Amino acid sequence: MEAVQNFMELSQQVVGFIYPNEIEIHWSILIVVYPYITGLVAGAFILASLVKVFNVKELQPTYRLALLTALAFLLIAPLPLQLHLGRPERSYEMFMTPNLTSAMAMFGFVYLWYLMLVLLLEIWFEYRRDMIVWSGEATGLKKWTLKVLSLFSTDISEKAVAFDKKTVKVITVIGIPSAFLLHGYVGFIFGSIKANPWWSSVMMPVVFLFSAIVSGIAIVMLLYMIIMPLRGGKIDMKCLDKVASFLFYAVIVDFSIEVLDFIHRLYESEESIKILSQLVSTKLFMSLVVLQILLGMLLPLGIMVVIKVFKLQEELRKLLYFVCAVLIQMGIFSTRWNVVIGGQLFSKSFRGLTTYKMELMGIEGFLVALALLIIPFVVLSVLIKLLPPWKKEELAGH
Amino acid sequence: MKEFFNKLPEQAVRVIVVFLVLAVGLFVIRQFIIPPEMKEPALQKLSSMEREADKEVKYAGAQVCGQCHEKEHDIKKTGYHRDLSCESCHGAAQKHADNPTDVKPTSPKKRDYCGYCHTYNSSRPTGFPQINPDTHNPRKPCITCHNPHNPKPPQTPRSCAACHAQIERTKAASYHALLGCTVCHNTPEKHKTAPRTIRPTKPDTREFCGKCHDKASPGKGVPAVDMNAHGEKYVCWQCHYPHMLGGI
Repeated sequence: MEAVQNFMELSQQVVGFIYPNEIEIHWSILIVVYPYITGLVAGAFILASLVKVFNVKELQPTYRLALLTALAFLLIAPLPLQLHLGRPERSYEMFMTPNLTSAMAMFGFVYLWYLMLVLLLEIWFEYRRDMIVWSGEATGLKKWTLKVLSLFSTDISEKAVAFDKKTVKVITVIGIPSAFLLHGYVGFIFGSIKANPWWSSVMMPVVFLFSAIVSGIAIVMLLYMIIMPLRGGKIDMKCLDKVASFLFYAVIVDFSIEVLDFIHRLYESEESIKILSQLVSTKLFMSLVVLQILLGMLLPLGIMVVIKVFKLQEELRKLLYFVCAVLIQMGIFSTRWNVVIGGQLFSKSFRGLTTYKMELMGIEGFLVALALLIIPFVVLSVLIKLLPPWKKEELAGH
Repeated sequence: MKEFFNKLPEQAVRVIVVFLVLAVGLFVIRQFIIPPEMKEPALQKLSSMEREADKEVKYAGAQVCGQCHEKEHDIKKTGYHRDLSCESCHGAAQKHADNPTDVKPTSPKKRDYCGYCHTYNSSRPTGFPQINPDTHNPRKPCITCHNPHNPKPPQTPRSCAACHAQIERTKAASYHALLGCTVCHNTPEKHKTAPRTIRPTKPDTREFCGKCHDKASPGKGVPAVDMNAHGEKYVCWQCHYPHMLGGI
């Protein structure tokens, strides 16, 4: 009964002609949350790799935080999909009986590869020495947790630590293409849906990737600015300025690619262009033009230009960086929204538009999505408690 | 080989052991615990075909019906319902074919069943026979006038509105309300009996509308434009919908 009522409400919002099975959209807010979260993972990892592979020394204070952030979000990334599909207890079958012709099914392996062979391994080698030291200092449950996590390893000789460092570097080198693969793949799934002109574009994986880098750098910057003072440390301005300038370049590249995609679509002017421009100017106006482009991209770009041109005071810089990072998070979330929801709002007949009405409760509703966005931070706080990203002397040193 | 392992730092050995345990675990589960038909697509297909084949057959098919009900079969063969299967209306009839005396199929006698296809709906193809059930002989079962095996209008429709009710109602509220349909559409008499093969015409020149709407035309109080300057090469109804109020 509720479904019928819902359907009747939606059908009154329909503009133009639309096929009956297009009135209600099927990929809901949960599918918006999923690429947003994986994007944060890939982006945070890229930031971490800048330290190890490209030797950007200033970024060292964010290195471990970036790794833990990537892990916290990666652990939660499959949850929205499992809630959306239902029957999560069957998801392991995807690994047991691989389907080589399905991009979605093979994505499980990309995820597994990234989690097991890149992120966990890198974190393990990075923290191994510290875990052994900390397990010696700690007592009770924490001592044993750390012991198990370090796989009862005991060797902290110089040779062993040197081996750890070397391994971390090798893993990071493998990790960069893996992170590209992880998020490029999400874009690939959308980009390869050839029946949908809003999605079907080879640019899709690239656009996803760069927006991922933008959002990942911004979230680590945000977390660094919040967590560092909370743990009694002082924010390293050199590091923050460096993160911000990488963020600045990433936003510029992301923006250029999106503009390129836009111009390309306009110039190509395929038969879908009319309905797509109608989509952008009506149903997606707020989330695409206002939130994504104006507030989520141009405004932060403007602020960062101001910071770079006028040598502003430290406190003001911090405040502006904070505002930028928040705006960018909102902008990238809108990007995901516009791709996922936007692609389902127009009819395949190119003659009509429908509306997405988000549930509040319900498994595909707003509250579940909100919870899914909060859980990674809870996971992160546990990880930080167990594996502190900064040592005591680092906190005191600043 | 042994030397190589001795050279590896102890932490690397530990990690390798963990991964080996996982890999062996996965291998054992896949090899020994998962049933073969879950792994092999061909087997999956085979078992699903068996499953489908085991299902009870419910529909007999029009040919089987025709073996006994020759008369209905022959009438239907040439009528408008020739592409419909008997069981579309009479329901699944395999049981009736197996046991013709004891099991009787149903036949819809009320109005609502025919309405599934013939109630007016603008998305149906042009010329498809459609009625408004509230105004078209209300409460009378359809089969009192129409023979479902060879459905023809019992009498030739008197007005265009019999089939084009929606257009008729829209036009009644438009500026063109007082114009008859045939002022603009040349309608051969045969269109009434063979609506989909003999079609009426649509005005295909600008001059046709210009007869009333050109500046130079004599009509008073009629919106007039300069036909040479207005609308370029387009026929008027490509922009203006003549049946609509105001004719926008």
